[in-house]
Amino acid sequence: MEIRVKNVSKFYDSEGKRIEALVDVDLVIPSNRIFTLLGPSGCGKTTLLRCIVGLESPDTGEIAIGDEVVFSAEKGIFVPPDRRGLGMVFQTYAIWPHMNVFDNVAYPLQARSEPKGEIERKVARALRFVQLDGFEKRPATKLSGGQQQRVALARALVAEPKVILFDEPLSNLDAKLREETRKELRRFLTELKITAVYVTHDQIEALALSDAIAVMRNGRIVEMGTPREIYFDSDRQFVADFIGHANFIPGTVAAAGEKATIVDSAIGPIACARKTGAAPGQAATVCIRPEFIRVLSEGRGGGENVFRGTVESLVFVGDAFEGEIRVGETLLIFRIDSTAAVREGEEIALQFDPRHCSILMN
Amino acid sequence: MQKTSTALTPGLIAIVGFLTLCPVVMLILGSFSGELGAFGAFTLEKYVAAYTDPAFAEILVSTVIFTLGSALVATGLALFLAYLNTRTNIPGKFIFGVISLIPMMVPHILFAVSWVLLLNPSNGMINLFLRQLGLEGAALNIYSLTGMILVEGLLDLPIAYLVVAPAMSAFDVALEESSRVCGASNARTLIRVTLPVLRPAILAALTLVIVRSLASFAVPSVIGMPGRIYVLATHIYSIVATGYAADYGMAAAVGMSALAASITLIVLYRRLTREGEKYVTISSRGYRPSVIDLKGARYPLFAVVVLISFVLIVLPVLVLFYTSLVPYVMTPGAKAFAAMSWRHWATVLKDPVSLLALKNSLYLGIGGATLGIVLSFFVAYVIVKVRSKASGLLESLSFLSFSFPGIVVGIGFMWFFVQTPLYSTIWALLIGYIATYLPYGLRPLTSAFVQIHGHLEESSRVCGGGPLYTMRRIVLPLLVPGIASGWILMATMFVRELSLSVVLSRPGTEVLAVQILRFAEDGLWGRLSALGILMIFISTALVVLANGIAGRLSKKD
Repeated sequence: MEIRVKNVSKFYDSEGKRIEALVDVDLVIPSNRIFTLLGPSGCGKTTLLRCIVGLESPDTGEIAIGDEVVFSAEKGIFVPPDRRGLGMVFQTYAIWPHMNVFDNVAYPLQARSEPKGEIERKVARALRFVQLDGFEKRPATKLSGGQQQRVALARALVAEPKVILFDEPLSNLDAKLREETRKELRRFLTELKITAVYVTHDQIEALALSDAIAVMRNGRIVEMGTPREIYFDSDRQFVADFIGHANFIPGTVAAAGEKATIVDSAIGPIACARKTGAAPGQAATVCIRPEFIRVLSEGRGGGENVFRGTVESLVFVGDAFEGEIRVGETLLIFRIDSTAAVREGEEIALQFDPRHCSILMN
Repeated sequence: MQKTSTALTPGLIAIVGFLTLCPVVMLILGSFSGELGAFGAFTLEKYVAAYTDPAFAEILVSTVIFTLGSALVATGLALFLAYLNTRTNIPGKFIFGVISLIPMMVPHILFAVSWVLLLNPSNGMINLFLRQLGLEGAALNIYSLTGMILVEGLLDLPIAYLVVAPAMSAFDVALEESSRVCGASNARTLIRVTLPVLRPAILAALTLVIVRSLASFAVPSVIGMPGRIYVLATHIYSIVATGYAADYGMAAAVGMSALAASITLIVLYRRLTREGEKYVTISSRGYRPSVIDLKGARYPLFAVVVLISFVLIVLPVLVLFYTSLVPYVMTPGAKAFAAMSWRHWATVLKDPVSLLALKNSLYLGIGGATLGIVLSFFVAYVIVKVRSKASGLLESLSFLSFSFPGIVVGIGFMWFFVQTPLYSTIWALLIGYIATYLPYGLRPLTSAFVQIHGHLEESSRVCGGGPLYTMRRIVLPLLVPGIASGWILMATMFVRELSLSVVLSRPGTEVLAVQILRFAEDGLWGRLSALGILMIFISTALVVLANGIAGRLSKKD
């Protein structure tokens, strides 16, 4: 089911100051996709989620889920959360400690007074789906973090909601469990063919899990696209910087060719992936991710985008070397294979792959 | 839910504001009024009369010695016990939990009476025993400042313990270990490092006990008054309850200084506990302080702890029960056992005033605690969940009464009730009780509310539960333990309430503690003991009942 958010704004008053939590947010969340709201803390992503679910009411705008308008400031519509028919997994899981697993999962069905037999059937199915069958009688307080997370998921799914919302559901798990659960969640959601709205500040989680990502900052959506688009072709420095690491080299557009756009910078001309709309003379920033900086072995010069620099620092991180190279006055971060023969203080030749040099228009 | 709470907050502020501020405002107005009949006519004469009384200076001195002395006794013992419990390998640690629960078990007036029965100069059991041994000169007189201080100190030990023990167990052991590494001995470390770091907690405990003993009425009335030692509380009582004409104007004028002292001390206490946070030395989660091996002293020290608990809990009940069975005060022995009978019990159970007091206290205990907990529930909800400027005001208002001495609140309310039809009804007592003991219900409920994370309610809403459904299935069940302990605290406080009741209780509205005080004043120790045991029995029954209901309620879901 599609979710449409139109001109939604939300303000808070805090110690006399007006805080803009959401500013004119316009968004269409496509149906049956995993859609992620990504951004640093305080960017308004959780507030937007809470507005969709009905735990907060915006100050302006309209929100529709499918064909139903659930909120409209103009028409004075506010459908309370219990009548929106959504499922949600909270950051804290919000597993009720005074109930066992069965009652926690059965709660949405009990709240709408479904027949007992029906409840038992659906709860059993939901628990089987999250691989917790046999846990019905287990008290909620006797569950591990990962199990609580699955109970929360089963509870959100049991009533077959039109949409399921996740508020940073993995942030309370340790790194390894987080990775496993992320893969599992992706599998569950793909199987279900359900509209999922997922809030996170973790870019890897967002890239790995989503069909589409909206990056938020200061209550606004700054960029939207598929994970690949966001990662490789971001239009904005904030997004490129927030998603992974990146080098930003300021310059001006020198030439806009058929195959490549050339940018003049402090380290020399850089050939970049073609940028539509870039005209010579315009200020631009070249974005190159550290993993796309290659070190050339001695003697093999030539080709585009080759520079010479000194290795300023080098850190072995297991599967790679991470370090800094000084090219002229510019310090670049790079990441190379841990088998490469590079030493600190050494002068080396490096090359940028033009396809992975993207241009950010200022 | 947001809309109802916006209407709720001003309503609660009005109710709680009335309950807390009414006695204070009426006390101030009353102190300038002179006579109960002449309310509002401005005069300074009562202040002049109260503070130029030549006996007043002596009363102040006694008050200072009494409160400071009890504070030192209580805090000293509390430090000793807390250190043993949290820092050493003393056996039987469950006893320390029991010690911190005593205030719920033995009412203060009965505790004081039991010591009078043991140590009064004419026929105290220990003194009689000493006399039989021919040690006439060793006879002890409980009717003295020392006696008052020791008994009050023991009574306030639990509250001092509750302040000191958490600080002691949160203490970062590395501070001590580094002192040991530097070559200091255990004792030197204790004096040079442990105690100074704990200073804020110790000062807080001292201040709190001073406030409590300043408000204390049981010990000064049962032990002090027979020895003609008056403190502020008993001085106020004697102004309104003895002599020919009760002078509520003068009582209010004296009460003003008790009130001012209490408020000052509580402000000091708050500052101390806030400053204490600076010293917080808890290092990380899952950390346990290292335990000091007491070696050979383990069992002797354990014996001391057992003795303290025996003196605090078992001895008073034993003394009272024994006294309720013997015809007159005598040392235990064959003669006493032969003379035992249920005579005093029969007399008490046939005494119409005692029966009325029993009935009134039971009503006030059950009805008052129930009303009080309903009010606490809403107030706690607003304080914890609404969190606005108005709810902050509500919080300060509702915890303010904690610092008011009961007898002073009683005088203030007296000025109010006299102008209303509530005067001399059980409702006057009910209102006064709830006003004075609201923090007892609030504290467990606010901490219960704090523990219910907002997500637990919100997730119920998203799951399709409406506001009422959420309240019934999520909020209330999670609050049951808090509600139960708040109710138990209030009910047991109400059943034993003395200091407010001595002012507000009139013929027809007698309550248990006041009736016990009357028996004490008349020296009717047998009847007093029988009624006292009944009082303890009722309190215990209410505790068991409330726990049982709470257990069943929280299991249901």
